[in-house]
Amino acid sequence: MKIHQTGIAGTLESSDITIHIEANEGKGIWIELKSTVENQFGKQIRYIIKDTLQKQDVTDVFVRAIDKGALDCTIRARVLTALSRAANCSLKLWEVK
Amino acid sequence: MWYGSFREQVVNLHNEAERSELSEFLKRQGLLLEADIEYTIALLDGRKIAAVGSLSERVMKCIAVDGEYKNMGLASGIVTNLINEAYARGKTHLFIYTKPENKCIFTELGFYTIAEVPEKSVLMENRSDGIKRYIDEIVNESRTKGDSGAIIVNCNPFTLGHKYLIEYAASQCRYLHVFVLWEEKSCFPAEIRYRLVKEGVRHLSNVILHSGKDYIISNATFPSYFIKTYEQWVETYARLDIEIFAKYIAPALDIRKRFAGEEPYCRVTAVYNEVMQEILPAHGIDVQILPRVGINGKPISASIVRALIRSGTIEKVSGLVPESTYRFLLSSEAEDIIRHIRETDQRH
Repeated sequence: MKIHQTGIAGTLESSDITIHIEANEGKGIWIELKSTVENQFGKQIRYIIKDTLQKQDVTDVFVRAIDKGALDCTIRARVLTALSRAANCSLKLWEVK
Repeated sequence: MWYGSFREQVVNLHNEAERSELSEFLKRQGLLLEADIEYTIALLDGRKIAAVGSLSERVMKCIAVDGEYKNMGLASGIVTNLINEAYARGKTHLFIYTKPENKCIFTELGFYTIAEVPEKSVLMENRSDGIKRYIDEIVNESRTKGDSGAIIVNCNPFTLGHKYLIEYAASQCRYLHVFVLWEEKSCFPAEIRYRLVKEGVRHLSNVILHSGKDYIISNATFPSYFIKTYEQWVETYARLDIEIFAKYIAPALDIRKRFAGEEPYCRVTAVYNEVMQEILPAHGIDVQILPRVGINGKPISASIVRALIRSGTIEKVSGLVPESTYRFLLSSEAEDIIRHIRETDQRH
């Protein structure tokens, strides 16, 4: 998946998360996280972001995340949306039966 | 009341009534409706304005929440809207001006402080490493440190006046850092202006050229320069820009002197020079304001060159600019720029 531009998704409201994705050629997945619950869930949030990206076969991205207490499902959704906007294509999210 | 019960509305800045209502609201909050605003969003409680925020390219400012509606998360709503609008316009590196008392609100929204004028204004950006990356860039462009001077120029286009200033400044220090303004608000595009400066100072071996990018007299650090009309915020913006220079740029390059040309015609630039002379010496930076070089008693300025181009008498320009600039003006590459100057009223 080729990242063409910066993609963002999310809002700054409580319980949401804002995700910015930009290219990070050859440097792997870097996550810059600012969270209201860093101490309790920082590790979990970073894991979810990384896992969502890896499941889409993404290897080199710079992610800036501003979290206001979002649940895992919200984080995944925002990451996928930001990713599709950055790559300018729709993602394979589920199997067609 | 909560955020969801307010109505979001884009303000039509071309509509007299809406514009003046916005202006009045901002005045009550101690802010001015700035002339370079391109987009404004308002949150309304029925017909009453509860909060507003505006965008000028990549800079968010004129943001205010009415006293009656504080602590409801309205600032978040306004800023989210502005961020989305800026992104839709292709701007992702964003800056924000706000009152220092609101700093914590914006820190929560992912902004990092660059510089502050106590009780008046603070400038923030949405990257933790924004200014740091710029500093790394200019340090890499410089060969070495020590006993350096700096001069910031627009050069729209590069004239003999600029050449004289830079030559003099270069003779006064070991290395001279010349920063070229990088905003695309001038008749001559930034790349061209940079190139003409580069060609015009090629004979000076101790000059190091940089682009000012976002952090030296840009729409983000000193918007008044581009608005050009004097008003009460000019001094505050000047302080912010100079604070950034003194706090980040000068120490990184070991700059001990700053040079500027005298400004007899433009009040905005004159105020900027005054603020420099007030602030920089305390940071160990000596400020020298140099008189403009003239021909026949009239100081050479880029605006006179543009006026001559506009009136179609380009031959008269040859006495005011170096060979490299004149050659460019006669080349086919300059055709579009010349036509633009002749056909429009653009002041700079």
